[in-house]
Amino acid sequence: MKERITQPSDPRQIFDLVEAGILTPTTALSRLSQWERAIVVPQIKEEPKQETLTEIMDELDQLIGLSQVKVLVREIKAFIEIQQRRELEGLVCKSLVLHMIFRGNPGTGKTTVARILGKMFREMNVLSKGHLVEVERADLVGEYIGHTAQRTREQVKKAMGGILFIDEAYSLARGGDKDFGKEAIDTLVKAMEDHKSELILILAGYRDEMDRFMRTNPGLRSRFPLHIQFPDYTPAELMEIAQLMLKEREYILSDSAKTRLWTFAEEINKQQTSGNARAVRNLIEGAIRRQAVRLVKQESITREDLMLITVEDLGEAVTQ
Amino acid sequence: MSQCIILGKANVGKTLFAINFADYLGINDLEIVSTYPEGRAHVQIYRKDEAIDSLTSISPHQTRCLQAFTIRLRKGKSEKQLILLDSTGLIEGIHANPQVRAAMAQTLAAIRDAQVVLHMIDASSVGIDGSDGAIGEVDRQLCQYARLKRGYVILANKMDLHGAALGLERIKATFQGQTIIPISALKKQGFAEVRRFVAIHA
Repeated sequence: MKERITQPSDPRQIFDLVEAGILTPTTALSRLSQWERAIVVPQIKEEPKQETLTEIMDELDQLIGLSQVKVLVREIKAFIEIQQRRELEGLVCKSLVLHMIFRGNPGTGKTTVARILGKMFREMNVLSKGHLVEVERADLVGEYIGHTAQRTREQVKKAMGGILFIDEAYSLARGGDKDFGKEAIDTLVKAMEDHKSELILILAGYRDEMDRFMRTNPGLRSRFPLHIQFPDYTPAELMEIAQLMLKEREYILSDSAKTRLWTFAEEINKQQTSGNARAVRNLIEGAIRRQAVRLVKQESITREDLMLITVEDLGEAVTQ
Repeated sequence: MSQCIILGKANVGKTLFAINFADYLGINDLEIVSTYPEGRAHVQIYRKDEAIDSLTSISPHQTRCLQAFTIRLRKGKSEKQLILLDSTGLIEGIHANPQVRAAMAQTLAAIRDAQVVLHMIDASSVGIDGSDGAIGEVDRQLCQYARLKRGYVILANKMDLHGAALGLERIKATFQGQTIIPISALKKQGFAEVRRFVAIHA
């Protein structure tokens, strides 16, 4: 049989080709030695430049709204700085327990803030990596006895040195005592104790549901000293988010489009479930697509046309 | 734990060597972990004669998975544990049976993780068939690849058989510059040198 692939990029491909009956073991071996010799000088990957603490705080400040969140993040930052200073002076300092509860509707910036916190903690030497591992019930809960603990531990391992962010955390307690979700909670609690200094856990979800979750699991409440409330964006803030998005993408709104957008923003603000900032983002992205469809039909297109979003581009209603 | 893999064409005596070598090192009950290409693994404990009966055969490709033996070697004053990995025989062409092909792919993949490679060649058939027949291109390519490892040695097996002495000379001529240990897996000849080699390189 003819060899179909000349240069496999990965030994695994070579093994697959042998298994498929395309490569003979002989050719496979010769490819493997070529590959092994070629990688003697590994390519040096350029590390992305790490942001400094100031840059990270700027990033936080640039978020629209969230004034209380920003205050609290600064409090946490100050607290860590002082604890570190106290430690240097040999004063008694409480060990840093930074597990958090984020309460708020979808699309209110919880993940974004968590990601910024991760970077901030890395720069402050609280966490070694500061990355964010986002999981939900399905990632933690298994299908049979023992499976859950194993899956949960895997996620914990992945998050080591960073933040484990559990979205809709209350769903872990959904099925009552017999549900495997309980096992996930127990495993998490154990991981929090065992890896106190290497892992920060953030439980996130709707405010009411999170409150109920905390009430039914009193042991959890005491383990999460930091509670951050993410309020819904006001219509004005939603407008600001939309304008910022458009500015970044170099689009402008026509006056009537602005008015239409404002009514949409009010509507989004009233609907609790419609994902807030995310709904605005989808709205704008949809408008950009519709503008493109409108423009391709047009015979001559000016620079202004390319930038302008009109009222018909925004569509008739907020779609979810 | 270091891994030491036994490689070679089909029917050169890899499994018999693994069993007898473990026996030579004083391991009474062989605990063999067999990992199949599809990921299934199972553990079985054999007495030595049982192992020979059920794991070896005169027809090729008796072994269709990686069979791991844990062995202990004295290294200086301390004892060192390592894994002796018995593998599926490699062939020149493409095997018609997809199971055997999968097992060969698994063998190739296992070479990457091994620190020591014992490359086994049937010296008696090299003696009888001539080096062009019994030393194949697969052996040459295997040598090219495996000598990048920390430890690479050619075991010229079946030295107890007729024609093996001539075969050994041909192997030496083909693989100049490589370490070659003549052995008999059946008669446990040459095992002391193999043990020394493995102890140094593992």
